[in-house]
Amino acid sequence: MSKPKLLLATQAIAKSYGPVTALRSVDLTVRGGEIHALLGANGAGKSTLVKILAGVQPADQGVLRVEGQIVRFRTPADALHAGIATVFQDPALIPDLTVAQNLHLSRIDRTHFRDGLGWFGLERLDLAALVRELPLETLRIVDLVRAVARQPHVLLLDELTAALTAEQAERVFALLRDWKKQGKSAVLITHRLAEVMHICDQATILRDGRNVAELAPANVTEHQLVEAMLGASLEPTSAASRSERPPGDTLLEVRGLTARHLVQEVSFAVRSGEILGLVALEGQGQERLFDLLSGNRQPTAGEIWVNGTRCHFRSPYDAVRRGVVLVPGDRVIALLPNQSVQHNLATPLFGKLTSWWRLPSNEGTQVQRTVEQLSIDTRAAAQVRRLSGGNQQKVVLGRWLVGGFRTLLCFDPTRGIDIQTKHEIYALLRKLAAQGAAIVLYTSELAEIGLVCDRVLVLHRGRIVDEQDARRATESSLLTAAHGLEAPV
Amino acid sequence: MTNRLAVPFHHPLLRTLWRNSWVLGVWLLLFGLLIWYSTLIPVFGPFQIASITKNSLPLVYLAIGQAIIVVAGGIDLSLGALLLLSNVVAARCMEGQPAGVVAAIGVALVAAMALLNAFTGLLIHRSGVPDIVVTLATSYIWSGLALWILPSPGGGTAPEMRWLFTGSPSGIGGSYWPPLLMILVPGMLVALWARNTRPGLTLYAAGSNRTAAQLAGLDVRRAKILAYALGGSMAAAAGLATVAITGTGDPRFAVGASATLNSVAAVVLGGIALTGGVGNLFSVVATGVTLIMLNPILIAMGVNSNNAQVLQGVLIAGVMMVGGLSTFLRERRS
Repeated sequence: MSKPKLLLATQAIAKSYGPVTALRSVDLTVRGGEIHALLGANGAGKSTLVKILAGVQPADQGVLRVEGQIVRFRTPADALHAGIATVFQDPALIPDLTVAQNLHLSRIDRTHFRDGLGWFGLERLDLAALVRELPLETLRIVDLVRAVARQPHVLLLDELTAALTAEQAERVFALLRDWKKQGKSAVLITHRLAEVMHICDQATILRDGRNVAELAPANVTEHQLVEAMLGASLEPTSAASRSERPPGDTLLEVRGLTARHLVQEVSFAVRSGEILGLVALEGQGQERLFDLLSGNRQPTAGEIWVNGTRCHFRSPYDAVRRGVVLVPGDRVIALLPNQSVQHNLATPLFGKLTSWWRLPSNEGTQVQRTVEQLSIDTRAAAQVRRLSGGNQQKVVLGRWLVGGFRTLLCFDPTRGIDIQTKHEIYALLRKLAAQGAAIVLYTSELAEIGLVCDRVLVLHRGRIVDEQDARRATESSLLTAAHGLEAPV
Repeated sequence: MTNRLAVPFHHPLLRTLWRNSWVLGVWLLLFGLLIWYSTLIPVFGPFQIASITKNSLPLVYLAIGQAIIVVAGGIDLSLGALLLLSNVVAARCMEGQPAGVVAAIGVALVAAMALLNAFTGLLIHRSGVPDIVVTLATSYIWSGLALWILPSPGGGTAPEMRWLFTGSPSGIGGSYWPPLLMILVPGMLVALWARNTRPGLTLYAAGSNRTAAQLAGLDVRRAKILAYALGGSMAAAAGLATVAITGTGDPRFAVGASATLNSVAAVVLGGIALTGGVGNLFSVVATGVTLIMLNPILIAMGVNSNNAQVLQGVLIAGVMMVGGLSTFLRERRS
């Protein structure tokens, strides 16, 4: 049997940003009728490669071929014309226009588009709705359906499933299976190895800007994929690394916290040395709950107690002063993207400046110690926006190490981050708890609960519906509760 | 999963009204002011309507041009200077010419200004220098050029052109229909074009989220150049309207500078976000007329015209705060 034709191929693609080399030399080959996974740890060069394939940035060196023809993309429009459609992490939809206007701009046929939406059970989506009014998961599907409606040869999906529910992800996979039957192909960039094993025919693994392996997931285990990504075997954080020290004083307590219908009568307490997990399906009020705890919004009823004192947070400033700090879900909003790593880390100190013309003398050492403690990759330290996602998240966390805190609120801190950095973050959270911090951790990855947390609360429709011991909680027991169901007897 | 919309209305008609509430609001404000004005003065008739409309023409054209550029994510401080340039070239070349030649000069001026400002747009895109800096620089160049072409006020135009913009060959009195149509039709056409055609929507897209627009395969560069070209042609039209109303060319720098500031004020009052991508172009027609009407209203009220500018500032701040308050309340409700 002859091999199916090459749809997309790169040869020795290289790209540098100033002194930082993102890609050294990458050969990627994607054949027709193939779902191809692009894997790699943080900073391996996946994002850069996607940008080059999508025409966002040109490569410095190397050759890009589509169906055997050498192509040079100068704009994303060039890539679309060549038959490569990309679904980016941030949907490429215009927020101030309606869905219909967005389709009109992209010259998409509405009937085809409706059919595509029907596949995801969204046939009743209001095309006259403004994009900014729709939830993110809907937008990602709209973006995907639009990409498919362009009828490209190759679909590039960058962390598509990260914001989707399990059923939606399953529909995406069904769509992809159908897609490859038509002789077309897709490139999947994902951190979820289960997906790779489930759906992908081939996997190219990037490490330090090179392709180090091409494997067929059917022939290997998840562990082998991870080893190939890391280049070394991995030490997972286990439940054993938690301290057995009993939790100390209550640092943060909420009683009957309510915000309209979004959050209803939520009560819990977190003690020093404890990591309290929070689990919920998408859109159960967890975003609002964190907004209330961090002082970003005010509750309609209920009380927040910090260190035994009742507090009214009018803004995050009040919360931070009380030692309650937030690591938000969207790390970009927490950072000063054009400033240096050092400047970002030192931000919490600015409020403490007593001298108008000199920084406190211990600032530099404090910042430097944090950089080392978190092993932040400082090759691109001049501007935080150039760091990889994992390193940016470390900077967000590191800022509070510099600033000091008692209670840490983490909203899905490991979303879209590679496995090695994830484990570094778990270890860091455990260490902070052991040093006496209280931590509230919302996560969309249920496996994290058992690895990191002591106790876990389950939020459903704005209410706490269950509390479990994290050591005994299983993914199935948590999912059952998260759907609002009683555990089977 | 259903459509979880963060809007209070789901009925299509109500939602259209809700989305265009700012446009409705500024038009209601204008009509309210008109009614009030009609009670302040002894006679309110066709003469007053013609006078208000024609005097608003230059500012309304300039504001439409500014609005297009702002929607596309830019801002143009040189529009007032382009108005001067168009005004003096027209006054100098049109004087004593027959109607046909005058029409040809008018069309040529609009096209030339579109090209000139398209070049400015290209320059901004290529150089990466902020819009405000580049257009500040070009505003001095165009103003200087205007003085060079017509060192002191003078020149003239054909009676036919005066009729087109003022409703009377002499520029005084006459029918109010020509100026009324000249003020409403371009505004409506541009607003419909911008919301319903691909190039128009591309302007909104480029201003709303430049990166997303690029990633969706749109040509952001072309959008910017197009916006500046349209802005330039509207400034040329404003210059033509000025020569038709006043019957002369006036190269004074201050005229252009205050026209630029007023155009930005009309855009802001019209609910067009200075950050780009949001707003209905038709609302600037109402806000342009509103700004022009403030002066006669205050005079009719017996307020010293030197205080008019203070009140104009208070009005802008007041309207914008009402807008900000409604956004705040809407967000708190969600």
